[in-house]
Amino acid sequence: MPKAFDAANPPFDRLTLHEVETLRAALDIIYFSPDELIIGQNTPAESLFVVIKGTIEVRDGGDLLALLGPKDSFDSRALVHGRSGHAFVSRDETLCYAVPKATILDLIQSNPRFASFFYRDISLKLDNFVKDQEEQRYGSTMRARISELFMRPATFIDAEDTIETAGHVMHDADSNALLVRDGERTGIVTGMNLSKAVVLRRQSIRAPVRDLAHFDLVTLKSDDLVSTALVLMTKLNKRRIAIREGDRFIGILEDIDVLGFLAGSAQLLAGRIERAASRDDLLVAARETAAQVRTLRRQGVAVELIGEIISDLNQRLFSKLFEMLAPAEFRSSGCLIVMGSEGRGEQTIRTDQDNGIILRNSVDQAQLNTFRSQFSGALAEFGFPPCPGQVMVSNPTWSKPLSEYLADFRSWLALPDATSHLNLAIFYDARCVAGDPALLAEAKTSLIELVRGEQAFLAHFARAIDLFATPIGLFKNLITSEANGDALDLKKGGIFPVVHGVRSLALEHGLMETATDRRIARLRDMGVLRDDFARELTQAFRFMLMLRLDGQLAASAGASGTLVRPSSLSSMERDLLRDAFHIVKEFRDQISRHFNLGMF
Amino acid sequence: MFERDTTDEVVAIDCETTGLSIRSAEIVSVAAIKIRGNTILTSERFEEVVQPDAGMQADAIRVHRLRLADVAMGHPIRKLLPRFLHFVGGRPLVGYYLDFDIAMLNKYILPFLGIELPNPRIEVSELYYERKYGDAPQNTSIDLAFASILKDLDIPQLDQHDAFNDALMTAMMYVALRDKKRRGSRIPRLRTHTVFDPTGG
Repeated sequence: MPKAFDAANPPFDRLTLHEVETLRAALDIIYFSPDELIIGQNTPAESLFVVIKGTIEVRDGGDLLALLGPKDSFDSRALVHGRSGHAFVSRDETLCYAVPKATILDLIQSNPRFASFFYRDISLKLDNFVKDQEEQRYGSTMRARISELFMRPATFIDAEDTIETAGHVMHDADSNALLVRDGERTGIVTGMNLSKAVVLRRQSIRAPVRDLAHFDLVTLKSDDLVSTALVLMTKLNKRRIAIREGDRFIGILEDIDVLGFLAGSAQLLAGRIERAASRDDLLVAARETAAQVRTLRRQGVAVELIGEIISDLNQRLFSKLFEMLAPAEFRSSGCLIVMGSEGRGEQTIRTDQDNGIILRNSVDQAQLNTFRSQFSGALAEFGFPPCPGQVMVSNPTWSKPLSEYLADFRSWLALPDATSHLNLAIFYDARCVAGDPALLAEAKTSLIELVRGEQAFLAHFARAIDLFATPIGLFKNLITSEANGDALDLKKGGIFPVVHGVRSLALEHGLMETATDRRIARLRDMGVLRDDFARELTQAFRFMLMLRLDGQLAASAGASGTLVRPSSLSSMERDLLRDAFHIVKEFRDQISRHFNLGMF
Repeated sequence: MFERDTTDEVVAIDCETTGLSIRSAEIVSVAAIKIRGNTILTSERFEEVVQPDAGMQADAIRVHRLRLADVAMGHPIRKLLPRFLHFVGGRPLVGYYLDFDIAMLNKYILPFLGIELPNPRIEVSELYYERKYGDAPQNTSIDLAFASILKDLDIPQLDQHDAFNDALMTAMMYVALRDKKRRGSRIPRLRTHTVFDPTGG
């Protein structure tokens, strides 16, 4: 009995102790020479293999789809459904555990959670995966560090300063608490302390704050755990904790912010954006919006919902900024649009600005130029990097009257090249965030009318799905000389083909929706996509978005985050990713047939 | 047992003993695993703890982590031998320093059957030597330690001093070495001097 078989490795972690014993007793170990075919394409398998050492290549015809390493198991399809979609070949000297088919089938019968691993339907698998994840979610929120939280600024006054001064400083700093310096000691005074002193005890507003400040200050370091702060607040009945970094006070943490962090504060932020009176207020809100993504993900909010919440907050932000900067004429007869991923509502971690403005009439050029530079400049300051392709308001191509846009559309169709396809793709995903939405609707309707029936154009447009090959990922840290190390590009290999394929179908059928999953749903309703395939495609797409988001959150600042390192995923995630790529590939084939791309 | 084996099967064996002297040591546990082609049949295995005749020595207990209580659960070796012999049959035996294990077993088998184990013997350290040092120049320092073989073949290190795990690791060594020989693939020897790597590794 191989005691070394790791039963903590998914999906075996779902087995009971007794079931693990049954499994262990039935295990054999098989050695494979390099380049040995273990399971052929479309053939059944009599065992489930779990890699002990070595590397297995997953192949589809001549394509290398993935590499499996230690603890990966294969292939549930060959085992349960009688045929494998892929071929499995050993790359080097490989040892695998082999679990007999009969044993696995018995375990599937007796243990539904284990069985879910073998479901053919990716959506069922994903549902189970999400449930498992939710169980872990509370813990991870509590493991967050205080430095990740929103804090009130640490503003100091002197103990000799009067109540009146304190009131003004609080007002200016927009903070309800101040730190009080009194010789060696440091205390805290709150707005409530000031009001009580003046109103209830009828103290003079010229009295020094020393007498009302509390010097039993509770302090923590910025790298302490959020859970520590919560425990201290509860135990000591304190609403505020001073946070220091070394000898320096860097902020005041309030209970409301801790609770807001634990509960998510998207709604608080929305209010804060609405009430913003200046660009500086918006700047703070913009930074917090970016931080919300991490919080929401930690709370286990589904990735499509995160996308929706963040898009909504960004929309409010854009709209408010537009209100602050745009001349009245622009606001009444202009339409501010966001395009690309922001338009589809699939942007979570900030990427580039993709925005523009459609105007009803020609406007004063000087006024327009001022607005162009101010708006894009402010967004850059808010943490939206300028678009390398210059798709933003500051570029006259993307800030002009409707009639000129319509002329552009005609030239895109008359002279189709890579740039016009790209522009069309970006614009077709546009969403109005401020101003008159009728302008965008008019523009899109014209665009759809122009494209209608232009099958050759649509085919050229759809062809971009073949730009990037099926991804080759190095699932274990074996060969590091590859351009991307051991990472694979989720965006190019998985997300882009889905987005663009769906976009091509949506354009052909004149849909006005922008989000990819809504487009899929509409295409399903119209009978363009099969019911079950639409569901699987949506699930696969969401799963890839989630993986990308996790990658982005894990990546240090500056990384694109579209590279996913399969070695950092769990075997379960890797297995799901393989399934997702399988669906992407099937979708590509469908698009290819639909637009007859074989003719190119 | 004396019939020529025709099944292309071999059996990896290992005994844990109370000492290293064949004369005075006792067998504590025995494990045997069949290997058919490239499959190590861990699902068909022989694994037994022996109840020794003499009291176990304290250091042997430490090495094998078997307590007297565990050993008491076992059977006297005379009861186990028939099943063991039936299990291995006429198949070649595979082991690491196999002669010791076989000598230990023979100590019990001889009085019991009046013969010694006739099975062909396959010594993994010899297979390893041939793959690694067979073409080595003279004066090459030779290392046949169990841990070194594991490392060279990249075989996972299981908890050692457990008869089953030792037999299993030996079985893995055997399939890997046999395949290397079939493919004519040799195990590289370490260079004796360090090579400057301009890329910084």
